Amino acid sequence: MSGPNGMLYGGDEIGALVFDPGHHSLRVGYAQEDTPKADIPAVVGVGPATHVPEPEEKVPDGNVTQSGTKAGNELRHYIDVTELHVPRTGMEVHTYMKDGQVDNWDLFEKMLDYCYAKVIRSPSEHHPALFTEAVWTTRPAREKLAELLFEKYQAPAFFLVKSAVLAAFANGKSTALVVDAGASQTSAVPVIDGYALVNAAVRSPVGGDHLAAQAKHMLTNMHIQMLPIYSIQSKEVIRERERGRYTLKTLPAGLTHSWQQYMLRRQYEDFCHCVAQVSESPYEERQAAAAPMSHYEFPGGYHQDFGPERFKLTECLFEQTLGAPHLACAAAAGCDADARPALWGSVVACGGVANSPGWLDRLAKELAARAPSSHRLKSHAAPSPTERRFAAWIGGSILASIGSFQQMWISSQEYDEGGKGQLERKCP
Amino acid sequence: MADILDILDIEQPTAEISRDSILHGDKVKKKYVTAKAVKRPEGMHREVFALLYNDNKDLPPLLPTDTGKAYKQTKAKLGMRKVRKWTWAPFTNPARKDNAVFHHWKRVSDEAKDYPFAQFNKQVTIPSYSESEYNQYLKSEDWSQAETDHLIDLCQRFDLRFIVIHDRWDRAAFRDRSVEDLKERYYGICATLSKVKTNPWSNTVTMVNGEKRIYHYDAEHEKKRKEQLRRLFDRTQEQIDEEQMLLTELKKIEARKRERERKTQDLQKLISRADSGNLPATTQVNNNNEGTSTPSNNASNIARRHDRKLHKKKLTAQQRPIRTVESVTVEWSGIKFPEARGTGVWLRSQRMKLPPGVGQRKTKAIEQELRLMNIDIAPTPTEAICKHFNELRSDLALALDLKNALASCEFELQALRHQYEALNPGKTLTIPPSICNSVADGESKPVGEIIDVVGSPSALNTTI
Ligand SMILES: Nc1ncnc2c1ncn2[C@@H]1O[C@H](COP(=O)(O)OP(=O)(O)O)[C@@H](O)[C@H]1O
Ligand SMILES: [Mg+2]
Repeated sequence: MSGPNGMLYGGDEIGALVFDPGHHSLRVGYAQEDTPKADIPAVVGVGPATHVPEPEEKVPDGNVTQSGTKAGNELRHYIDVTELHVPRTGMEVHTYMKDGQVDNWDLFEKMLDYCYAKVIRSPSEHHPALFTEAVWTTRPAREKLAELLFEKYQAPAFFLVKSAVLAAFANGKSTALVVDAGASQTSAVPVIDGYALVNAAVRSPVGGDHLAAQAKHMLTNMHIQMLPIYSIQSKEVIRERERGRYTLKTLPAGLTHSWQQYMLRRQYEDFCHCVAQVSESPYEERQAAAAPMSHYEFPGGYHQDFGPERFKLTECLFEQTLGAPHLACAAAAGCDADARPALWGSVVACGGVANSPGWLDRLAKELAARAPSSHRLKSHAAPSPTERRFAAWIGGSILASIGSFQQMWISSQEYDEGGKGQLERKCP
Repeated sequence: MADILDILDIEQPTAEISRDSILHGDKVKKKYVTAKAVKRPEGMHREVFALLYNDNKDLPPLLPTDTGKAYKQTKAKLGMRKVRKWTWAPFTNPARKDNAVFHHWKRVSDEAKDYPFAQFNKQVTIPSYSESEYNQYLKSEDWSQAETDHLIDLCQRFDLRFIVIHDRWDRAAFRDRSVEDLKERYYGICATLSKVKTNPWSNTVTMVNGEKRIYHYDAEHEKKRKEQLRRLFDRTQEQIDEEQMLLTELKKIEARKRERERKTQDLQKLISRADSGNLPATTQVNNNNEGTSTPSNNASNIARRHDRKLHKKKLTAQQRPIRTVESVTVEWSGIKFPEARGTGVWLRSQRMKLPPGVGQRKTKAIEQELRLMNIDIAPTPTEAICKHFNELRSDLALALDLKNALASCEFELQALRHQYEALNPGKTLTIPPSICNSVADGESKPVGEIIDVVGSPSALNTTI
């Protein structure tokens, strides 16, 4: 913390936790670490507890939180892949997120319970908690979160920061134009001196989920069937484009539609991650045909090379008025003229979709074509894919472990005195 | 024991084991080794020597044989001090108003002191005013007190980052204001309050020689500046391209204009040269020793010619959209023969030598003309012949230059005519015969006459 010559360096760790709730997953871990401890799918499986427990399963542990209902039939909540990705009779999958913010608080509580019990494994009252939020999070949602943390979890301190600000911090910037390509939406948010400009922020519903839906559409058109991976007992090795030969597993009856859809979406996402590539310039048949093919094997054993389709698939991410370049331009144009040169000078890209191969290059290229020529344009992105996907969490980890930040927390004393009304003032 | 020593090739003490040999065993061994040791030759590297002359002249072992305790068993001693303990200790932060207790790791030995990071808790001082002060000094028809309070509050919260303040402005309660409006109001309040209140705000008031200097914010100027900035940034690509295109066009036009001016000047000079040139050329050559005005004039001429050539290169390098006229270059005309130099005896034929400034081509052309006129290229250099021969050659050179100039002008004329006709289809440009015939005529006329024609100012003016 302080060196021999009285100089201050480094940070000060106070055992804070950083939560980054996203549409795709929730990231949680200790401040001052470089990656989150856990990256949990942002859904909760809810099934009847009457389901026969496996013989070796004695007590429901933290993964499986129990809660009673009035009618007496218990409900169990299944969280994280090991519990969730198991076929279970009557287990519905629900997401607690909506429009970039937490919507279903009961389910989110279950998720937080799980985080404290199974990831952090330490009582919540020992750890100040820093949460990220989208710029357009509504006031009731913010206040509800503060209330939950202080009243249910007895957190000693709490803080909320806009995820765009944290992504900028993670890239070493306090002023940046942050382009975040997440699961449910892509957004561009100008950040000035560590404050997000709320009114200049823009977003579009095009993101990783849209890409997965597009992939599903494309495969259906190509008459390629995406069999659920959990339904395959075994498959044979076959030649390319041959019909798959496989045997099916006997599955428990009564698998819910929502769970099946959830599992299939994961598979389409996987297909996107493996196959999809962003072309450097708008899609062109001939150019795309010249690029190398990519091989993909489907769960049923069917496999083939994908050529131009790889590029055609991602074009939806760069649609004229919905794509990241357009959003960045719109966000910059919404700012004061004095702020624009600095923003164009540090465009920060983050989010899971920014990991698609070629995405960054395409963004840089389109921005160069669109940005006013009088500005120096420079785009930044963390070098490794995980750093890009976890940009907001890493920024939170950095912020919460800076010594001079420790005065910013809303402490439980402050909350007891001032209530949740002070949230707007304390966490701008 | 002895066999092992033999196997390992360890030298045994030769002496019998006795009290003495045990006590001085080491010494004996050492003596033995040193006795065997060969002195390292001067200049041989230590490593090479070690390879050649090891103790028992054996080959070096193939496998590492070092089995001593040197690395493995001894514990690393990093630092001689004792380990200092860390504890998870509670602390309070003086930068916080609530005395909240957090925990962090600290050394047990560290004495309790204020939280070190609290020193970074810096805040901008923002003016404050009471209700009565507001009513007395700060009333404004444009701003209500609630709105002003909101502004001051935001200034405090965002440390005068006006762009952020503008972003977080409560648009539901108050009307939207520009950044300049906000700044104007804020600095206006600062200025007013610092006049009437005793404690000035460090960031807007500076003391210069004991008198207060208040920062004055010029909103009008700022608004204009930002408007211009905005317009600059909001230009579309077409607008930028158009501006770029216009700029290059302007440059082209200017270049052409300069070229034309230069040509006119050259011709003008030629005329004046031809007008006065006939006489001075002869007088110069005649009255060498008089040394009239020309040398400096000449030098400047050469300089200009050089300059012009450079210029011409630049011009031709630029690409032009419309076919333009080949630029007419008129070289300086006539020959200035050097004056008699130095003292002592010299050959008169020296006087007939063309000066080095006259180029190869011109020399050839002059010789050609002389041959046509049946004049010896190297006549006997009598005084009179020398004089007249030089004079003749000077005139010939001038005539050649003029002919070139005329040809160029003619060419340009034709080119312009074509251009004109191309641009105005259906129209023809009739060039008065007085201008264009001259070349055809000139070709057949004897040289002397050309000089005469050119020499008359009226004829020249029509060619321009
Ligand atoms: N390597 C990758 N290539 C393409 N897309 C990816 C990659 N990794 C993650 N994604 C996509 O990124 C999205 C998740 O991004 P993320 O920023 O974590 O979203 P959120 O913050 O909303 O949870 C998912 O839709 C996922 O499919
Ligand atoms: Mg996100």
